Amino acid sequence: MDFSLLTIKIYIENWLGGLAANWDYAQVILPSLLHGTVTTIQVFFVTLIFSIPLGLPLALGSESRLLPIRWFCRFYVFVFRGTPLMLQLFFVYFIIPIYTGIMLDAMTSSMITFVLNYAAYLSEIYRGGINSIDRGQYEAAACLGLSKAQTVLGIVLPQMVRVVLPAVGNEMITLVKDTSLVYALGVTELLKASRAAVNRDGNLTAYLLAAVIYLILTFGLTKLQKYLERRFSRHEKRSE
Amino acid sequence: MAPLLELNHICKRFGNLQALDDVTLHVNKGETVAIIGPSGSGKSTLLRSVNYLEKISSGEIIIKGQKLVQSPQGKPLYLPEREIRRICSEIGMIFQHFNLFPHMTTLGNITYAPIKVKKQPPAEAEAEARRLLELVGLETKADCYPAQLSGGQKQRVAIARGLAMQPELMLFDEPTSALDPEITGEVLSVMKTLAEQRMTMLVVTHEMGFAREVADRVIFMADGHIVEQGLPQDIFNNPQSERLQNFLKSILRS
Repeated sequence: MDFSLLTIKIYIENWLGGLAANWDYAQVILPSLLHGTVTTIQVFFVTLIFSIPLGLPLALGSESRLLPIRWFCRFYVFVFRGTPLMLQLFFVYFIIPIYTGIMLDAMTSSMITFVLNYAAYLSEIYRGGINSIDRGQYEAAACLGLSKAQTVLGIVLPQMVRVVLPAVGNEMITLVKDTSLVYALGVTELLKASRAAVNRDGNLTAYLLAAVIYLILTFGLTKLQKYLERRFSRHEKRSE
Repeated sequence: MAPLLELNHICKRFGNLQALDDVTLHVNKGETVAIIGPSGSGKSTLLRSVNYLEKISSGEIIIKGQKLVQSPQGKPLYLPEREIRRICSEIGMIFQHFNLFPHMTTLGNITYAPIKVKKQPPAEAEAEARRLLELVGLETKADCYPAQLSGGQKQRVAIARGLAMQPELMLFDEPTSALDPEITGEVLSVMKTLAEQRMTMLVVTHEMGFAREVADRVIFMADGHIVEQGLPQDIFNNPQSERLQNFLKSILRS
């Protein structure tokens, strides 16, 4: 084995050269990947902004004493949790227009489906959070003469937020990755853009870049989640 | 003068269990009434029926002349929910486990209901809250969260919270049972102060010392009945029924 210093030097030069070439290539495909990332972020934020509040009436409705409301909410959750998200995308995009005549573009259909789907999952998380609140809290609120609405808004929800934050954060990280499903309707998001580059150029760098971009997005979310958890459990601390 | 609180022929069943069996009890304004008895005797159920935490099976509850519930045909007929809430907001309730709102400071706990229910201006509610905190000896804890308070302090905050609604009647459901023995005193002394100020109080308690010293009248309950009632000295020094004699013996032995 001739493992002289020279050979090592050549190895390193080759490797660095390859890296440099890769970097040049990466710069070529990066704009299209970032373009896909924008779509990914759009679907993510629209889903986050609408599904987080929409889950709440569903959660309260699932426990409602009015049977039609309870049945509706539970059936809704049953359907949206019980079928694949991709199938739901097909339903909204292909089947609804046939029966209603309402045509939506692929991006709008995707976002609507994601909101409806995530609201179902979040409502179950909220329901768990609401049920975890001690009966004594309701009793104390009732004894002070608080109405149902005042009890829910002032007493139950603020305590529920702290309980459900880890699970909601988890769900939002799943959402970042689930957005890749919209490729099924032909929408070009991050994963589809990188696959296009890989198929076109026969070079796997795009997948590596996609992974890095997904990790950056989820890293930001993880930080945000940690911050919110701290903020909402301030009152748990025993001393100032 | 009519009693502040009238409980007439209250029955309460949980499935097959007859928790309350034809209980009649009147409480006058300014009176402190202690309810004692073995566990499972229906004391707490009776107390919780007064402000609608339990629905009775039959009987009549009259608060300040308003019939919260009546049973014309043996079935309970309650007032509409709104009316009940209005009447019950004049009754303060203190729980064994405090039930403070953990996400609010002491001040927030005390002022929330006056601001939301009584529409008191926040500044006024806060001034009142600070006055009440002084009464219970916790003026320095206004900005603490419940997690930062000891059990005795929590219960005193709960009392201040109840008083902030300016109730006509305070119900205490074993207020010291969850506390370590050495700190029950701080809660009992606040209750004693209230009794001296002629607050009307109905107290379910295992503190025989409190019942003997502070109560105007002591009720002994067993198996869903009022077995004996009277002045504290009669109840404790001269018990008539065998149930009460046995109960007092077992308490003194422990």
